[in-house]
Parts: sequence; structure tokens; C-alpha cells
Amino acid sequence: MLGIIQENKGRIKPTHLMYKANLSHSQMKLYLQELLENKLIEKATEEEKIIIVITKKGRDFFTQYSQMKEFESTFGI
Amino acid sequence: MKIVFTPDWFLGIDVFIEIFSFIILSLFFYYSIKSYKLSRNRNSLLLGGAFLLIALAELATIFTKLVLYYDASFTQSIGQAVVTYKVVQSVDVFYYIGFFFHKLLTLIGLYAIYRIPLKRRLSGDIILVLAFLVIAALFSQGFYYLFHVSALLLLILIINNYYSIYKENKSDNTKMLIIAFIMLALSQILFIISNIGILYAVAQIVQLVSYLTLLILIIRIVKHGKKKKSNRHNIRYVRNNTRK
Repeated sequence: MLGIIQENKGRIKPTHLMYKANLSHSQMKLYLQELLENKLIEKATEEEKIIIVITKKGRDFFTQYSQMKEFESTFGI
Repeated sequence: MKIVFTPDWFLGIDVFIEIFSFIILSLFFYYSIKSYKLSRNRNSLLLGGAFLLIALAELATIFTKLVLYYDASFTQSIGQAVVTYKVVQSVDVFYYIGFFFHKLLTLIGLYAIYRIPLKRRLSGDIILVLAFLVIAALFSQGFYYLFHVSALLLLILIINNYYSIYKENKSDNTKMLIIAFIMLALSQILFIISNIGILYAVAQIVQLVSYLTLLILIIRIVKHGKKKKSNRHNIRYVRNNTRK
């Protein structure tokens, strides 16, 4: 989910995120809650609509996560 | 009397190559542990342990060579080999222990790298293998090539493993890893015949190129993380975690 938000210039509408991540509404609610609790994303309002914005902590985490995935894939572990 | 195959003109340069190798291996250890902290993948931890062992092996040889080259009473060049005489008996013991640990830790580290991608769990035969590695390291004090032959065999097995992984993931990084291991294997072949002085230096340079390749690999991995492209891991995560 973080990757999708990051790809979308760091901000996305919840419905767009739901479709892009191929998640159901309940699944997305659950994951968004976890990301919000960990301060990896935050909610903002743009033209009276709620949008999801990735935080600096979220960007850093996604970078580390991508590095970890690449590292593990390189070594086949 | 000790014999080291380092040509006179190469003394010190080999230590710098080993310091460089130590830094690269430490970087791999760091990224393995960092990866483990995020994923809790036990194999990352084991891989980190393997790199740490080889890094410590390099450290052992760095300290031993520094003592050998700079703390010896006098060094004299005879033919291609450098023969170093020592006055202090304790330095003798240090020399043997240092090179023994270098060989033992390298062999165990390489064996661990070989075992990690295998699906088979560890069984009792590991004790047998470890015993053979200790014997190989011990006898290498008398027959220097025994260590390099053992390392070469392990590297061939590692290359074979990673080639199988490459066939599955077609990753350029895995290809680069294979190239680095092939060069390490090549350096071991050169070390086997390194009693012809110049070949020792060539072997060290090949080893340096191998570690440079590994450095490029680390840079690629770090850069990949900084790219803003998603790998859609969340979709895989959801698939793996929602229908239980």
C-alpha cells in the first residue's frame, strides 16, 4: 500500500488506493488503521475530500522494505 | 621460519585488499541483519552470520599479517617467497593461530552460504562436515593448498546453488553475485599455484575485483530501495494473509 501511495506522488484518494491495491473495503480499513497507528501515513483534506498522504517515516520504511526485498531476492532467501 | 607467498613488492598491498574485503563483508553482514530485523526471515540472520564469519576470518589474517610483516625481527627475500625469521616464540604461536582461524572461519562461512538456500533442514551430518572443515584448516598449516582446494569446492557448490536461483528469478543482482563468486573461485585456483610468487599477487587482485563486484551489488540493492517504484508486495502480502 505504501508503494502505491509513493508511486502516486505520495498522496492518493482512499477509493483509488482500494482499487489499486486490489483490497476489499474492510481489508483496506484494517491496513490503513495499522499504517496510521504506526505514523507511516496520515489523512489530509483536499477540496473537502479525504486523501491519504505518506509521511517521511512511511517513505523511509518503504525504502528499507524495498532494499530488504531486493536483498532477499538476490540471495534467493 | 615462516614462509608467506607474498612477493616482496606486494607486502602491505595484500593487507589493504584484505581490509577492503573485510569492509565489504561487514556491509553484507549489516544488510543481512537489517533485512532480518524487518522480515524476521531466519535465513537472513544465518546469511549475516556467514558473512560475519568470513569478515572475522579476514580480520584474523589482517592482524596476523600485520604482525608478520611489521613486528618481525627482520625480513629477507629468497627467490619468489618471503622468508621471515622471528625471535619471539609467542609471535610464532600468534602466526599459527591467526592463519588457522582465518582458514577455519572462511570455510565455515562458505559452507553456511552454501547451505542457506537449500530447502533441506540441517541434520546430523553438519557435525561431520564441521569436523572435516576443522581438519582441512588444521592440515592447511602444512599443506597450504588444502585450504584453497576446500574453499574452491565450496565456492563451486555455492555457484551451482545461485545458478539454480538465477534460473528462477532471472535477477541481474543474482547474476552479479554469481560473477563475484566465480571470481572468488578463480582466485582460489590461483592461490593453489601461488608458490609461483607473482600468481599470489594476481590471485589477490582477482579477489579484489570480486569484492568490488560485491560492492557494486550492495550499491545496486541500496539504490533499488530508493527508487520510487512499488513492487506490489502488499498484494502478495494480502494474498498470503487474508484467506486463512
